[in-house]
Amino acid sequence: MDLCDKCGNPQIIIKKKQSGQMLCQECFIKSTNEKVLKDIRRQKLIEKGDKVLVALSGGKDSVMVLDILNNLRKRRIIDLMAVTIDEGIGGYREDGVRIAALNAERIGVNHKIVSFKEYIGHTLDDIMADSVDRNACTYCGVFRRWILNQVAREEGANKIATGHNLDDETQSILMNYLEGNIQNLTRIGVKSQSNYEGFTVKIKPLREIPEKETALYAIARNLPVHLAGCPYAGDSFRAKIGTFLKQISKDHPTIMYSTLRGFDKIKPVLKEEFSKTVPMEVCQDCGEPSTGKICKACSFRRLWD
Amino acid sequence: MEVTVIIGEDEKKLDVDEGKTVRNLLQMIEIPVETVVVKKNKAIIIEEEPLEDGDIIEVIRVIYGG
Repeated sequence: MDLCDKCGNPQIIIKKKQSGQMLCQECFIKSTNEKVLKDIRRQKLIEKGDKVLVALSGGKDSVMVLDILNNLRKRRIIDLMAVTIDEGIGGYREDGVRIAALNAERIGVNHKIVSFKEYIGHTLDDIMADSVDRNACTYCGVFRRWILNQVAREEGANKIATGHNLDDETQSILMNYLEGNIQNLTRIGVKSQSNYEGFTVKIKPLREIPEKETALYAIARNLPVHLAGCPYAGDSFRAKIGTFLKQISKDHPTIMYSTLRGFDKIKPVLKEEFSKTVPMEVCQDCGEPSTGKICKACSFRRLWD
Repeated sequence: MEVTVIIGEDEKKLDVDEGKTVRNLLQMIEIPVETVVVKKNKAIIIEEEPLEDGDIIEVIRVIYGG
């Protein structure tokens, strides 16, 4: 009979393929919390006195980040707030925004809702109705980073925490490797390392937690969570790589961990060989940090002016 | 034996052979096990959980595009 490895409870909710560990609901929640908090300490993601802005979509990953970081807020180690970006995806984003607000309200943290419409003048649906040569993820990623950085500065946050999980991170590694984007590879990591003062440091506390476990955590904790797929994600390169990694993980359950570990080992060499120190400028249009005269977000925005 | 399967708003009753597990049920309805969390009679269970007559199985799709 299967029993929880920690307490002997026969009602187990997970049998981890990568380690064989079996856990009941209570022990899974406790051990996942401890693992994330330990990763935060080990990798020095957060320091006492930080103001952390959680990028809260309402999905399982960001809801889990908020829930776990709230432990540090309750212990008065950090100040915590959340921001939700409404990209303007009809029939999808409305629920996410509502659920994000529920989560922030549940624990009593300040929550700001901002939109593409307000910051860019267009919803993602508007943008995609006119776009022929780019997929939605390209615009969405650029604009979300642009908005997040501005909100962090407006709110005086010195860290932005995102819900990137193990699956997301290994997808990014594989995508950039397969596409030969070595410059992008040098920037993948648990903590962004820009020395430029206009950029707020981004951290990924769930980088070593598999996606399936972030979902299980949210459900086991009974957290309100938006469990729907983005209508624009279906045909992206990321989705194809994600499917491939999940398929291969069935027979090789440690493959995502080994991809991540291997990458973290070669990253210092990659940085040494390929990282360019680009002089940072200020975007002429928006004043945000940029590697050129116009930042990527404003170069897109100019397309619609 | 018969089990009730709930997926989102959709609820249906399915005939399942004795001795089958949640994993067998998911295969039967063609849902990849790595994309869902499953509850049996409101409690989260693992895919090796055996099914019994009258069980209410809730399949929660948690991973999209995978």
